[in-house]
Amino acid sequence: MNAPESLFDATTLEVLWTRLRSVTDEAAKVIVRTSFSTLSIEANDYSCVLTDAQGNSLAQNTASIPSFIATLPATTRHMIAALGRDTMREGDVYITNNPWIGTGHLNDISLVKPIFLAGRIVAFAATTSHVPDIGGRIRSAEPREIFEEGFHIPPMRLLAAGVPDASLLQLLRTNVRTPDQTVGDIFAQASALGLMESRVQELMHDHGLTDLDALAAQLFSLAENAMRAAISAVPEGTYENEFLTDGLEEPFRFRVVVTVKGGEIHADFSGTSPQQPRAINCVLAYTYAMTAYAIKAALLPDLPNNEGMFRPIKATAPEGSLLNPRHPASTGGRAATGHYVPPLIYGALARVIPERLMSAPGSPLWIFTVAGVRADGKSFANVFFYNGGMGATAQKDGESATSWPSNISSTPSEIVERDTPFITHYKRLRPGSSGAGRFRGGLGQEVLLENRHDGPLPVVFITERLKFPAPGLVGGGEGALGEVIVNGKPLVDSRLQVILARGDTLLLRTPGGGGYGPASERDPAAIERDRRLGYE
Amino acid sequence: MKFALGIDIGGTFTDLVLSGASQHALKVLTTPDDPSRAVVEGVRSLLLNAQIAATSVDRVVHATTLFTNALIERKGAVTGLITTAGFRDVLEIGRERRFELYDLNIRMPEPLVPRDLRLEVAERTTAGGAVETPVDESALHRAARTLLDAGVESIALVFLNSYANPENERRAAAELRRAFPGIALTASHEIVPEVREFERSSTAAANAYVKPLAANYLDGIRDKLRALGIEAQLSLMLSSGGFTHIAEAKAAPVHLLESGPAAGALAAAHLGKGHSRLLAFDMGGTTAKLCIVDDGIPLVAQGFEAGRTRRFMEGSGLPIRVPSVDLIEIGAGGGSIAHTDSIGLLKVGPQSSGSVPGPACYGLGGIEPTVTDANLALGVLNPDYFAGGTIAIHKAKAEQAIEALGRKIGLSMLDTAWGIVNVVNENMASAARVHIAERGRDQRAYTLLVTGGGGPVHGYQVAKKLGLKKMICPPSAGVASAFGLITAPARVDRVATIGLRLDQADLARLEERFRALEAGALASLAESGVKRADATIERAADGRFVGQGFYLSVKLPAGPYADRAELRAAFEQGYREKFTNTPPQVTIEFVNIRVTVSAAAQSASAAGSAGAPAPATHQAPGNRKVYFKESGDLVDTAVYRREHLPAGFCANGPLLVEEDGSTLVVAPGGHVTLEANGNLIVEVA
Repeated sequence: MNAPESLFDATTLEVLWTRLRSVTDEAAKVIVRTSFSTLSIEANDYSCVLTDAQGNSLAQNTASIPSFIATLPATTRHMIAALGRDTMREGDVYITNNPWIGTGHLNDISLVKPIFLAGRIVAFAATTSHVPDIGGRIRSAEPREIFEEGFHIPPMRLLAAGVPDASLLQLLRTNVRTPDQTVGDIFAQASALGLMESRVQELMHDHGLTDLDALAAQLFSLAENAMRAAISAVPEGTYENEFLTDGLEEPFRFRVVVTVKGGEIHADFSGTSPQQPRAINCVLAYTYAMTAYAIKAALLPDLPNNEGMFRPIKATAPEGSLLNPRHPASTGGRAATGHYVPPLIYGALARVIPERLMSAPGSPLWIFTVAGVRADGKSFANVFFYNGGMGATAQKDGESATSWPSNISSTPSEIVERDTPFITHYKRLRPGSSGAGRFRGGLGQEVLLENRHDGPLPVVFITERLKFPAPGLVGGGEGALGEVIVNGKPLVDSRLQVILARGDTLLLRTPGGGGYGPASERDPAAIERDRRLGYE
Repeated sequence: MKFALGIDIGGTFTDLVLSGASQHALKVLTTPDDPSRAVVEGVRSLLLNAQIAATSVDRVVHATTLFTNALIERKGAVTGLITTAGFRDVLEIGRERRFELYDLNIRMPEPLVPRDLRLEVAERTTAGGAVETPVDESALHRAARTLLDAGVESIALVFLNSYANPENERRAAAELRRAFPGIALTASHEIVPEVREFERSSTAAANAYVKPLAANYLDGIRDKLRALGIEAQLSLMLSSGGFTHIAEAKAAPVHLLESGPAAGALAAAHLGKGHSRLLAFDMGGTTAKLCIVDDGIPLVAQGFEAGRTRRFMEGSGLPIRVPSVDLIEIGAGGGSIAHTDSIGLLKVGPQSSGSVPGPACYGLGGIEPTVTDANLALGVLNPDYFAGGTIAIHKAKAEQAIEALGRKIGLSMLDTAWGIVNVVNENMASAARVHIAERGRDQRAYTLLVTGGGGPVHGYQVAKKLGLKKMICPPSAGVASAFGLITAPARVDRVATIGLRLDQADLARLEERFRALEAGALASLAESGVKRADATIERAADGRFVGQGFYLSVKLPAGPYADRAELRAAFEQGYREKFTNTPPQVTIEFVNIRVTVSAAAQSASAAGSAGAPAPATHQAPGNRKVYFKESGDLVDTAVYRREHLPAGFCANGPLLVEEDGSTLVVAPGGHVTLEANGNLIVEVA
């Protein structure tokens, strides 16, 4: 216990931390209210963070999705290093969408703003949000290098002492398909930063604080100790796991060695396949976010995020691998790789703490994109998401057709039919798709779409688990494979663009989640219920 | 002389109010097995005691939590669903999104209709509104027969794209009503003709789920009131704060789910009359509620969630797309339990001690300290006059419980007690900040209106945390919600999804759509006895800039519209009110159009307020030691009895004003004034 420990008592600390978190939640509402991006709103694809003066996370908005764990504080520290603390002025806002510095793909634009009090930087506010378009190719796995993926903004000033960089904005507007919306969303983020700035200044005034250093140190050490204690409940040792995934011509290998020692967890992904000339590479920041998410959900789910909590968690992957690619790797579909990280880690830890874990879900997330030209000559582009079943746990069956580890809604069928030339013949649960077990996995879903567009309609998929199913845990069965079926025929390579003619049909069957424990131990009443409700 | 009767049935108490030349109120225990029994007995004794003839009651307005409780407790009808082939799982698949991110054992809310009672029939309408496949009537008959044979008591009918053209759904509904006379049927387009099949299905299913119960109950209470000699028409409070007549309430009881909270919000609006920006803050035993009231009208949202599986967690309930008073519920009340979390910080709630064992000070076996215990230890609450002297209180037990917690975190008893109060205040203030920000309001423009047992106790510090300058503490009206009922305007809402881009808008057609909605709403209002000349019509649109993923509801001027620019300007003005800036050069789309038809409360009897101060017999204030953070210690504090405050009373804090239901706390630096209408106005330092 060091000196700062005694500065704030348990009630003052609780009050201050609650208020800091409410500042980030308030900022999140500003983003939701002012964003153009459907993704920001329907998928919570944004995040707001407050850091201390060094860029360590004090608070993150409650609904922030796992992809953004620890990314914004890292972005903030990159900004401090790249631009230099001495050059920072009141009213500055910094910007980047560099995947390695930011969140792993160009579509997420991150902003950072220094918060000053009495002429000194006392904190940073940072936000990131998925913009409607960033130029480059329409979302698919096809880009081979980042240069094909859109407009790339290195760490730089968006606002210098409150004045926007007109050249940057003009370049950006010129390079994206939706200049008003993309720029509008960036300024929505800037409003959120402004709100966080004034709220932090008010808070410091109300509580008579001249800096946040002592508060930060105390919060970090408490959270760090809690995470260390939680990790210490896991038997020390080295636990390995590996599996194959659909890959391209050849399957990809995912491998992890999880070392639990001295209250720390280290996930080393050595042995994972090399980076690929496709937009499915997952930068280390995203790999880390998925690792930290998996550990937190298993060991310390209730405590709000801060920097200290993640100090005992380390992730390493060989440079040039799928989970730590080098520039200029393309990364747009990083989720198709990164979403394998949590089940990979859970598979390793299953030997010691299966009761804390979840079997593999029917993720990564499925994405499909259509782009075309309407009869009236206007172009359109739509992105759809579909989720498989969640994995089972020691306590319950997996939820059917539910997003995990991400948290993205699928588009309602009525909206699909209103906004695109598709008609939906069915969108329903997929009976029999769950992994068997004492508790079964969640069901996948099946969606049959028919194209009613007259011209040729190109569609692009990012789908996973068409070849390798979601494994169960401790004797649970694997979930059903996903299937993509065009005009009644299974698609051979779902990563290639498909051109649909009018009347062509597209059947998507998302994968089921893995089961937990031997199926022979399933409660007969649950078996009877599954039969009655037609889940079998 | 005519009187209005207000009836508000809550979970524990049923509140009755008679208002006309004089005002009379009665609080009786709710009779859960047959809630109308308490009403009938209460009304009878109220009339008798007040010496008022049943025939002089010319209005009866009723709010009840009965239907929402049936939904929360899953005690509604066995409900079936008939839907378009291919879509029986819409209710179960939902939005595919979790309401909590880190819980691997998450349980999404169970659909109200299990999978084996969801049946499909061949039929199809396109998003453009074209009927592509007419309803397979023999399949429809078979489905209904199968459901009824399986014991289904109520059926929801939801066809895909019925928002765009309800023809198939309407035909199917007519056919079922013809073939199965008396069937309890809910067709989705009759309840919520809005795009998004999950939300529409969820709303229709909820309506079907409470429909038989509503029919039984509403007919029953009407008959029983008639038997008492009350001939006046029964009006029901809607979730939106308006009211409707019995036939419509029986057809669409889903509109009544939040009628209790709506009455509470209206009461707050009434008590704070004259203040254009009010934050109504009600704190009770387990929860605190907060609602924005602008210009005397509680904010109304276009939907809410019913039956949350985790009470205070957004997304854990069933979406109900009907207008509803927009309030948040926070897990903070007098019974909220203080404890330490995994890192040793002090947390308060959302667990509550309930009434048994209750706070430690009740001496009924509760050993964990609660917010009430902390207020007692701080001297804020009077151990000798708790709840008007009705409950015996043990201050020592409260202090023991707090001391034990204090030892864990290394704080004295008093510092711990203050900490508990400070933490619960911060929880409420933080929730309020986020709620207000989400609605694009600036909190500093607002006055806090405090009600409930805890509102006056905690209001001062909450106002301070929010940076509010003023607080209103109305006289403790134990039956305030029932007063809210009889001050409510008659109101009918109608909505239609049109998906109209302004740059392609056919203004004549738009006008037609608005007129059709208005005609329906006026007709419905006429059935409540409102004359057309008394009705006010308001138009609104849920619009967005094309590409945005949400809608914003904005008011529109009356039509017909001269040109598109007029509509664009109206939308942009509403948009700027909320978001400051509008994006340039983006087309506007009206997703839904809305019509609200309302008329001020009819009976002259509604004018009464909850109670002006009785002429006071001047009494010197008492005195006790109360802890204030501002003083850093226990300080001598004046203690007033509210009923003894003289007209024109004003004083500086620190002080307490006690009344039976609550205690108003004014910290050092604060100032209080008694207004002629009985409200205490507090200036916050």
